Amino acid sequence: MFGFSSLVVRMSSSSIVEAPPKGGFSFDLCKRNEMLSGKGVKHPNYRKTGTTIVGLIFQDGVILGADTRATSGPIVCDKNCEKIHFMAPNIYCCGAGTAADTESVTDMVSSQLQLHRYHTGRESRVITALTLLKKHLFNYQGHISAALVLGGVDCTGPHLHTIYPHGSTDTLPFATMGSGSLAAMAVFESKYKEGLNKEEGIKLVTEAICSGIFNDLGSGSNVDVCVITKGEKEYMRNHLKPNPRTYVSARAYTFPKKIEVLSTKITPLKELAQVVEAGDAMEE
Amino acid sequence: MGDSQYSFSLTTFSPSGKLVQIEHALTAVGSGQTSLGIKASNGVVIATEKKLPSILVDEASVQKIQSLTPNMGVVYSGMGPDFRVLVRKSRKQAEQYHMLYKEQIPVTQLVRETAAVMQEFTQSGGVRPFGVSLLVAGYDDKGPQLYQVDPSGSYFSWKASAMGKNVSNAKTFLEKRYTDDVELEDAIHTAILTLKEGFEGQISGKNIEIATIGPKRIFKVLTPAEIDDYLAEVE
Repeated sequence: MFGFSSLVVRMSSSSIVEAPPKGGFSFDLCKRNEMLSGKGVKHPNYRKTGTTIVGLIFQDGVILGADTRATSGPIVCDKNCEKIHFMAPNIYCCGAGTAADTESVTDMVSSQLQLHRYHTGRESRVITALTLLKKHLFNYQGHISAALVLGGVDCTGPHLHTIYPHGSTDTLPFATMGSGSLAAMAVFESKYKEGLNKEEGIKLVTEAICSGIFNDLGSGSNVDVCVITKGEKEYMRNHLKPNPRTYVSARAYTFPKKIEVLSTKITPLKELAQVVEAGDAMEE
Repeated sequence: MGDSQYSFSLTTFSPSGKLVQIEHALTAVGSGQTSLGIKASNGVVIATEKKLPSILVDEASVQKIQSLTPNMGVVYSGMGPDFRVLVRKSRKQAEQYHMLYKEQIPVTQLVRETAAVMQEFTQSGGVRPFGVSLLVAGYDDKGPQLYQVDPSGSYFSWKASAMGKNVSNAKTFLEKRYTDDVELEDAIHTAILTLKEGFEGQISGKNIEIATIGPKRIFKVLTPAEIDDYLAEVE
C-alpha cells in the first residue's frame, strides 16, 4: 500500500522558510509491501463503497440516488453511510469506489467552488465542478479510486455527468456507476423516457437502486434520493428502507451457566464536571 | 527632522522608535473615504461612503463592502486594490479552516490571521504595508463582534468605530449616541446619521453602502432600494 502525502494546509502565515511541500503519492513503501505479501502477510482492505449510484434528468431538473452500504472486503463496515455528497447548494455528487477518495475529492472541490462563488458573486455551474474534478483525477492517473455521478441545475439548465477514476467524463440523460451499475442500468434502459415528472422520476430512481441492492452483494441497506430543481433541492436521506431488521430476539443476553456473578458495580456515564476557576485569562 | 532619513525603508526603525512607513500608511487611510461600524446587542452594521470619481462610473459595479464567510463581512478605508488582495487572502484562509475543522472560522481567528498577513508586509523585504484599515463585522457563538485592523497589523475590538476622512467628528458623534443595548435597527439609523454628518452632497442609496448581520448570522449587503427606505425613515 502506498502512503499518500500531499499539500498540507498551512494554518498560520509565517515567513519562516520551509521546504516546499511535496505533491502526489509517495511510493517509498512499495518494495516493502511486495516483500511482505510475498511472505504471506495480507494487507488491510480499503473501505470501499461497493455501491449502486444513479442519476437521471427529469423535466424540472436532476434526481440522484444511492444505496447506503459500505464494505471492507467481505464485511459490511457501514450499514447506513451517506454517498450523496454536497458540492454546492445547486450541485450534488454521488461517489463510488474507495470511500476516503470520494469523500476527500468531493470535499476539496466543494471548497474550491465556494471560493469561486465568493470571487465571482454567482451560482456555481455544474460544468465548473466537472472540470475541477476531472482535472484532479487525471493528475493522479487513476490512483484516486473515485467514480462519481455529478448532477445539478444551474443557469444553463439541468446537467448530469459521470466521472471515471482516470479522469474521463460522460454527459448523459441517465447514468449509473458502481458494482451495482449493471443492475440499475437494466432498469433505466427499459423504463426511462424523457419528460418524467417528479414522482415518476423518484419512483424510477428508487427502483433502480433497489435492483442494485437486491442483486449486487456490494450494495445494500437503504435508498437515498436527492432531487435538485431550479432554485431548490430536496435531500431525502433514507427515502426507502427495504431492509429493516425484523427479527429481534425477545430474550436478553444470558451468560453461559458456568459463569458466576461475583460482584456488580454500576458506573454512571455522566459525571459531574467540577469547574475550577481559571487563572489569568489567556493573553491575546 | 531626524525621522525623515528613516522614512524610506520599511524595515528600519527611526530613532524615535517608529516605523515611519506605517505612519504614512495610516495617513493614506486617513485620507480615504469615511467608513464606520456599530455593534448592536443583536447584530452588527457596517457602512461606508461610495463617492465615485465621476458620474460616468457605473456605481453598481463598485462593491466596497465584501463578505468573507456567510457570517462575516468587511469594509475598508484607504486603497481599494490593497483591500481586494486582503479580502482574497482572508476568504482563502477561512475556507482552509473550514476544510480542516469542518466548522466556520470564529471571528477572532480570521481577524488574527488577516492581521498576521498585514504584519508580514511590514517586516519583509521589497514590499510595502497595506494602505487600508479594515472593519470586520461578524456574528458567531461569542455573539456579534466588530474588529478594526490597521496597516501595522494591530487589531482592536470596538463597540463602534469610524475610519477615514471624517474620523474625529464621526467618533464624537458615535460616542454621544452609542448605548450598550442598542438594537440593530436603531444602529442602522445611527450609522446613516453619522455618515450624513460629514457627507458632501445629497446622500442616497447609490452613494453609500450598508451591510448588516442579524441574529440569523447571515451577512447581507443592503440593496440601494433598501438603503433608500432607511434614509426615508431617518428623515
